[in-house]
Amino acid sequence: MTKLVRNPKEPNWITNFKISLPLDISYIPIGLACGILLNAAGFNTLNSFLLSLLVFSGGAQFLIASMLTTSAPLLTIVLMLFFLELRYALLGSSLSKYLTGQNFWFTLFFSASLNDENYAVNYLKFSTDKKWTPKDAIQLEHWSLFFWTISNVVGSLVGSALTIDLTVVHFALTALFLYMIVMQIKSFLKVFVAIISIFLAIFFLTLTKSTLGLVASTLVASFIGFLIDTWLRKRKMKTGHKSKLIKTFKNPAGSPEE
Amino acid sequence: MKWDNMQHFWLVILSFCVALGPRFLPLLFFRKRKIPNWFNHWMEFIPISLFTSLVVKDIFITKAYTFSAATHQPEIIASIFVILISYWTRSMALSVVAGLAAVFTLTFIL
Repeated sequence: MTKLVRNPKEPNWITNFKISLPLDISYIPIGLACGILLNAAGFNTLNSFLLSLLVFSGGAQFLIASMLTTSAPLLTIVLMLFFLELRYALLGSSLSKYLTGQNFWFTLFFSASLNDENYAVNYLKFSTDKKWTPKDAIQLEHWSLFFWTISNVVGSLVGSALTIDLTVVHFALTALFLYMIVMQIKSFLKVFVAIISIFLAIFFLTLTKSTLGLVASTLVASFIGFLIDTWLRKRKMKTGHKSKLIKTFKNPAGSPEE
Repeated sequence: MKWDNMQHFWLVILSFCVALGPRFLPLLFFRKRKIPNWFNHWMEFIPISLFTSLVVKDIFITKAYTFSAATHQPEIIASIFVILISYWTRSMALSVVAGLAAVFTLTFIL
């Protein structure tokens, strides 16, 4: 998708559509699944539509579906979402150097439709294609948002036409989270953080007897990871010794797009 | 407690706010300034801690919030299977489908 060269005769939106197409297609199955799961969690089609359009985050929408099926209170769901979405602060700020001089409204609409995957494509385009403008970037975002929302709505409609076994559907979410964990694991330190998260989650969940335990274990585990990471980095600066813990893994299936 | 459509709607609106804040505010502020490094390093560990906690809740915690390694035995075994599949294939669709098939078969056998 990066090799597409701009054809001067082709209208911009068609070129941008072609660039976004691989991403758009990959959103269809996930969007369908998300729509089905939200429907199983009690969301009607209109609310699923609004959620996909306004939140536009696979992880967040799966989280909402999961928390609703376990009847978590509103405050816990919103808090968990906040921590999950906090990582976009990273993505947004790493794109900011390409968006200097844009006005308030552009920045607002750009960030509202920012997402892990379209960020990856845009970052790649900005850093490799000198002609890639913020306007192209926001168009690419909107194409992916369009496909995501439609797939969710279709999923919601499919879900309301079928009766689905809730325990099986629920494991689909667990499997998705497991997949995301595996995708996150890039060093031994991450493995270590995942392991302490297991113990902390058990501890805080049984202690608080509520889903708030998830918030506590997330904060404590990530903070421990951060402290160890900082300590290892400092030691590396001082002694030049690079710990095996923070060495990046080789990917068994070859390098994915970053 | 069963939620009605209006409660879902408010959840959507609140989710929109907490989703937009972290994306919009840094982009607005850091168009000129640099984001603090310590924050970057901390955020790196949020997704993994969060997803692990969620999985733990799904497979090790009972409805009464007690620890149990026995109530969700099929799910625990299927989880190991999902981890291996996603590690080797890196495919989200394949991992989920294989996981569902595994949990379905295991519930039947166990």
